[in-house]
Amino acid sequence: MFSSVCKFLGNPAPLFLLLCALPVLAGFIAWLFRSKRHGALQMATVLVFGAANLFLALSLYAGGGASGSLSFLGEEFDLSMIVSGVSALMLLLTAFVFLGVSAASCAWFRTREQGGLFLLYLFISLGMVNGALISDHLGVLLFFWEGLLGTLSGFMLLKNREKPATALKALAVSATADLLLMLGIVTTVHVAGTSYMSEIHLLSTEGLGGVGLVLMLLGAMGKLGAYPFHSWIPDAADDAPTPFLAAFPGSLQKILGAYLSIRVVNGLYAVTPGSGMRLFILIMGGITLLCGSFMALAQKDIKRMLAYHTVGVSGLILMSIGSGYAAGLVGGIFLLISHVIAQSGLFIAAGAIEDRTGSTELAKISGLSKLMPVTAVCFIVLSLCSVGLPGLAGFPAGMLALGAAKSGGIVFYLIGLLGIFLATVAFFKMIRSAFFGPLHLPKGHLSVSEARSGMLVPAALSVLACIFFGVYSAFPVDRLIQPSLGLFEELSGYTLTITLFVLPLLMLALALVDHILGAKKGGAPQATAHMEGLPVLKQCYALAQGGKLDPYNWMMAAFSGFADACQWIENGVSWFYDKGIPGFVTGIATALHRYWNGSISRYLIIALAGVAGILVIFLAVML
Amino acid sequence: MNGLIPVLCVLIPLLGSCLLPFIGKKSPKVRNALALVFVAAAFVLSLAALPALLNGNPLSIHVTLPLGLSFGLVADALALFMALTSSFVAIIIVIYSFGYIKEYDNQNEYYMMVVLFIGAMMGIVYSTNLILIYMFWEISSVCCWRLIGFYRTEITIVRANKAFYITVMGALIMLAGFIGIYAETGTFDLEAMKSTPIPAWTVVLILFGILSKSATFPLHSWLPDAGVAPSPVTSLLHAAVLVKIGVFVYVRLFVKTFSTPAVFTLVVPIIAGVSALISAGCALRATDIKRVIAYSTISQLAFILLGISCGTEAGLIGGLLYILAHSVAKGGLFLCAGVVEHNVHTKDITKMGGLYKRFPITATAFALCSLSVMGIPPFSGYFAKHLVIDGIMQAGHPVLSAVFILGAVMTVLYLARVFAKVFLGPQTFPDAKEGVPTMTASVLILAIVALALGFAINLPSQLATMVWEAI
Repeated sequence: MFSSVCKFLGNPAPLFLLLCALPVLAGFIAWLFRSKRHGALQMATVLVFGAANLFLALSLYAGGGASGSLSFLGEEFDLSMIVSGVSALMLLLTAFVFLGVSAASCAWFRTREQGGLFLLYLFISLGMVNGALISDHLGVLLFFWEGLLGTLSGFMLLKNREKPATALKALAVSATADLLLMLGIVTTVHVAGTSYMSEIHLLSTEGLGGVGLVLMLLGAMGKLGAYPFHSWIPDAADDAPTPFLAAFPGSLQKILGAYLSIRVVNGLYAVTPGSGMRLFILIMGGITLLCGSFMALAQKDIKRMLAYHTVGVSGLILMSIGSGYAAGLVGGIFLLISHVIAQSGLFIAAGAIEDRTGSTELAKISGLSKLMPVTAVCFIVLSLCSVGLPGLAGFPAGMLALGAAKSGGIVFYLIGLLGIFLATVAFFKMIRSAFFGPLHLPKGHLSVSEARSGMLVPAALSVLACIFFGVYSAFPVDRLIQPSLGLFEELSGYTLTITLFVLPLLMLALALVDHILGAKKGGAPQATAHMEGLPVLKQCYALAQGGKLDPYNWMMAAFSGFADACQWIENGVSWFYDKGIPGFVTGIATALHRYWNGSISRYLIIALAGVAGILVIFLAVML
Repeated sequence: MNGLIPVLCVLIPLLGSCLLPFIGKKSPKVRNALALVFVAAAFVLSLAALPALLNGNPLSIHVTLPLGLSFGLVADALALFMALTSSFVAIIIVIYSFGYIKEYDNQNEYYMMVVLFIGAMMGIVYSTNLILIYMFWEISSVCCWRLIGFYRTEITIVRANKAFYITVMGALIMLAGFIGIYAETGTFDLEAMKSTPIPAWTVVLILFGILSKSATFPLHSWLPDAGVAPSPVTSLLHAAVLVKIGVFVYVRLFVKTFSTPAVFTLVVPIIAGVSALISAGCALRATDIKRVIAYSTISQLAFILLGISCGTEAGLIGGLLYILAHSVAKGGLFLCAGVVEHNVHTKDITKMGGLYKRFPITATAFALCSLSVMGIPPFSGYFAKHLVIDGIMQAGHPVLSAVFILGAVMTVLYLARVFAKVFLGPQTFPDAKEGVPTMTASVLILAIVALALGFAINLPSQLATMVWEAI
């Protein structure tokens, strides 16, 4: 059956329409059912269209892919589409995660305003992501890629139009990354002489090619949520609807960012292991991992902590993909799969907590496992998956990624280990604070009930997927990822080495000990206080608190300085026209007025001088 | 008959405008309706000339006169592209004016000047003769002068004079360039001068006129100051139509007709790059909504100039599509600014906020038009932006491409800033209300067209491609 559907989709028109236009249609239908009394119909729409999208993605993956081309705007924007290998796998991952996230979003908005608009933006975003994943033409890929800016802005303005700072920040940061990608794509096309990715193979990274590579990677990092394009994500945890976090920074954007990174370093450009370009990717990944992990540690809110955690994992994914080894690519993709599944589940669970208690601040909630046991189990399992506990998907994925980082250099391996330690400490603090200890609820909430089924089911499915991929890691590694990359080594057994098995487990154990010791003083919410107070770290946190370490603020300060300089130049130009020229003309007129005394001889001299002047000009032109 | 349509395109608004003051004394409603009819006639007739162009026989008229003089109009791809763009936006602006201008004096002169200006614009785009281009160019300057000074206050008169002096000075210098070309070739007829090499000094002189009209740094200073004019005027003249004359003439003369020294494919893009960045920087600082949009216009015009001057197919097609996308979206932005200003009686964005609730349609239209100017897909601005940067890169100017990207980032920043200051945040002006139906409908139409053009971008791009193929 999948093959038949795939064959049908091999025709470019149905492929494009079904994967890009169908979600848009679904979004409009969901929007039409926006009133609260149509909640069931809205959920049905979401499930039917989400399932249809999953079925199409599965067909394309199982059926061996499809390709085709629709003429739109000549060669500049030829709708050329190829679904195969990594793109087919990413399409499948997107469809799987989207189904859960959209259903959870629908449930979350059941008692809130703007659910219709949210789902409209969400489905349009799915169409854009699908479009970017199936595009073979770089210009068309960019079209869908940048199109997400529109829905991003829409999402960010849904909840809080009175305080638009985060929306502006998200737009500015994302647009900057997208425009860098545009420059990178144009440069790549210029170097390659073609816009079709299928025709570009291992371009040189010397000269303009290197510039193109870096710019394209920066664009990919923008979607991945890596440093320096990450800082709007934690802010969005405060100002955007919680399902947005699961949908955008938690899954869709991450998939797109990782997908493009893989295409760039594994196909478009010849990036050899140990080269300067590899080092650049590893360094950026390392900075992202450290930045995200350290900041996650100090958070007092579940959503903000998860937001920083997702930033940190982006760094490890980047390091893995950028290592230059086949195992690194496999590890990067596996880590992406496990993280996207776990993180979207975590955000959904956080949304469920917010939905029931009205808050995700650790100071306001505790002991929730008594009232929301299923949510608690989901949250705990997914958290443990995120930190790489054996038996869950995060463990083999993390091992492969760490192995890749180690191949890039011992420093990067140590950064990876540190990242695991910090993430585990942060998760222990969060789990223990929110779910254990005496029951404590925000004011106005005497009791709360278990999360809605619309949110529980997607979270539980995420848990099942994490367990399945953890127990049977050979399936994703050897059956899903490697074939998509055209690799056929036995990498699923790669994890059983001391540095990749024992030391990470030691990190988990150390984190547990640190948590127990740290929590002795002020309880679980203060379990990381001793680390936050360490020399250097304390100053760094203070600087971060004041926004001094935020690259967005640096960018805005630079533009502000530039704008001041431009205004200074503009003032000079205005002075020239408003004061300079009128002053000059008035001065000449005043001077001439002095000669206006009725003397014929004086007029004659002036007239002759004028004639002489004209003659000089005339002769100059003639000669 | 073959050349009648372009002649009518020019003559109907040109002569019709002279009737409007007389009719207006009898019946303002008939005057308004006729103003719309005259402008719409230019659009409809331009549309009627399209089939002939697509069949490969563009409509034209050519009369040879003594002393190398001639009279000629041609409805080629470039002319029709500009005529359709400018007359379409002008129709919307005239409809918008019905609501905006009704409270003010001098309405007869207003409609006369608007329609006369469209006639002059049609004259410029269809003309195949340098003297005719100059003549219509100056008519447009006079219209611009009267319209900027519409309110007759001291400041508006000073600003109107400034615009007039700068553009007329530029035009006179340009005329000297035309005369220089005549001295070289013995004719003013563009058809007779195809691919003729012209000396660099004539190019420099003509560039003065073009850059002053297109408000390119450092000849741009009149444009932000012209924001004192009524909003439909700023939309018509300073966003949608007038400022496009300069870039149009650049394409007509230096891309389509003459062979210019190669150095200008570097010099002009550099001037454009500097203009784009400085004006974008000023837009980040300005607090007057119309000044922000005016600086944005200067910046975007520089991008257009960058595209059309780099000498590549992608650059030229992108530049032309940019003219279309920018005319629609920026026209919409100025009209939105007008709706807000008309109701809250201030242009200072620091005094505004939270107006989304009071002006939901205008805010939506402003957001959509902003997204198009920013170049966010699927808006038409995206395709134009992408093609321009592609063209610059193909021309071998990676640094200018980077400048373009920097300017594009700043475009996002200043437009997002204006939107946030005006429509988001804590609410101000709780008693303000949405504009009258003709005004809100106008801004909404432009916003929808800005979006729709993105899905139908292959239609205008066919015309733009024909311009390139005709070179």
